[in-house]
Amino acid sequence: MRIGIVCPYSFDVPGGVQWHVRDLAEFLIALGHDISVIAPADDDTPVPDYVVSSGRAVPVRYNGSVARLTFGPRSAALMSKWLQHGNFDIIHIHEPIAPSLALLALWAATGPVVATFHTATLKSRAMQAARPLVGPSLEKIGGRIAVSEDARDTVRRHIGGDAVVIPNAVFVDRLRSMAGGRRWAGTATAPTIAFLGRYDEPRKGLSVLLSAMPEILQRYPQANLVIAGLGDEDTARGAMDETTSRAATFLGRVSDADKAELLASADLYVAPHTGGESFGIVLVEAMSMGTPLLASDITPFDDVLAGGRFGTMFSNGDSHDLAVKALAMLGRPHVGRHLAERAIVRARDFDWSVVGRRIIDAYELTAQSFDAATLAPPPEPEGWRRVLRSGRGVAR
Amino acid sequence: MTSTLWLAGLALVLVLIVAGWYLSYTAARLDRLHAKVSGAWHTVETQLVRRAEAIVELANSGQLDAASAFLLASAAADVLEMDDGDQRKRIGAENDLSAATSAVLAQVSIDGNGGSDAEWLGLLVRTDRRVQLAATFYNDAVVEVTRVRRKPVIRVFRLAGHAPLPTSIQLDECRVS
Repeated sequence: MRIGIVCPYSFDVPGGVQWHVRDLAEFLIALGHDISVIAPADDDTPVPDYVVSSGRAVPVRYNGSVARLTFGPRSAALMSKWLQHGNFDIIHIHEPIAPSLALLALWAATGPVVATFHTATLKSRAMQAARPLVGPSLEKIGGRIAVSEDARDTVRRHIGGDAVVIPNAVFVDRLRSMAGGRRWAGTATAPTIAFLGRYDEPRKGLSVLLSAMPEILQRYPQANLVIAGLGDEDTARGAMDETTSRAATFLGRVSDADKAELLASADLYVAPHTGGESFGIVLVEAMSMGTPLLASDITPFDDVLAGGRFGTMFSNGDSHDLAVKALAMLGRPHVGRHLAERAIVRARDFDWSVVGRRIIDAYELTAQSFDAATLAPPPEPEGWRRVLRSGRGVAR
Repeated sequence: MTSTLWLAGLALVLVLIVAGWYLSYTAARLDRLHAKVSGAWHTVETQLVRRAEAIVELANSGQLDAASAFLLASAAADVLEMDDGDQRKRIGAENDLSAATSAVLAQVSIDGNGGSDAEWLGLLVRTDRRVQLAATFYNDAVVEVTRVRRKPVIRVFRLAGHAPLPTSIQLDECRVS
């Protein structure tokens, strides 16, 4: 199939949606599909060759974090051109209600459209304000996908109707093969605790982990806290007490290989996210590597861990609970390893080979419905409606 | 005086043009939504046929006892012989088929070690999942058309004509234990 994928967020910066789009594109290309991705990008940023730039991205505060978006007449023109040249069998729009490229694509689209909703934190007032503008174009979407139950709830509440839940995915084997060594491996007395993510975003929950660190360091004075991800190190250190700061190492932005190695070496991976998370992809990555895992009990994490069967959970936002659970896990590593072995099997449920097949199902069914709708004879207008008929254009 | 009349006339013409455009646009939007619903229903039907065929294959696979095989084959035949007409009757028959399949599969212990068992089971699971997917997409389209048809302008100007209001469907899954 010829598939056009629209990603509203710039590939310049890391983010769940961007990674999902990149992996999806690579999965589809490996199966022999013809893929073009349109996304904002600065001219000098190297992007994969299947990515078409829709122009420069502008940083905008949106939905609780800074998103880099594109809009404006130039982007709209580029979008129409891309759609025309692409002649796609299916258009797959990610985050269709972001005030950005996705919306432009929805306006311009004339073919079958599948949309994936990632966000679980849509403001309902924003949606109501946008409703008259966006409502009719949302009707172009033939198949709706939500990446989690929370995202599906958002669709149901703010847009109406339903969506099919198809979770995010991981290339389990590729990730496992990436971990070359065990650079960050700890010992029984000096265990390594790992944190991944943009630590300057409050919802990633680093502060919850930091408040728990003194309690952990009391039992394990030599424990190491390794923080991988973007953020301002000085600010983060300013929020730590002295012992925690001494235990902390900042890696900054890491490559996929480094991330895999960190997860493979860590004695404990902590995911203290406080909310706003669409899906626990980070958890699945840790599970793929067999890392003992401690996560907050927010809904998307609970879904992935099946209520604690594949990893330990602590009460969201509760640093003391985090510390107690962490100490219990570090004290009995064999229990954590046992759980982690089961988690590796569970992670395969989220492998691209399984999840991607369901996305292709959505493409095929949406394209089929679209063709059937186009071929079906329009209903014969009765009475005075015949007058209206004459003037109207056929929009699909 | 005459110029005021002229202006009023012009305003009236403009209002009529805008109103006409809006009516025409809304009528076109509604037609599109009706077409979308019928296209989505067509897909549901196609997927249901595929699922019934997978169940017939399962019945003929020799993996089931004669009574179970007969039960499934006849329930699948009921569905496959139906002509496109009454949607509600169709859904009822499909759900009977799902129930029969679930009941039969609950009795059979499934050999998870690959082999032909896993093959027909995989086909059934895949087709059943596509039925669910198609049904969700169809129901979304129904919600959209229902919402637009509630608009006062549609009702006052009878823009929906005699097109029947589509209803959402509930298709049960085949439970594979």
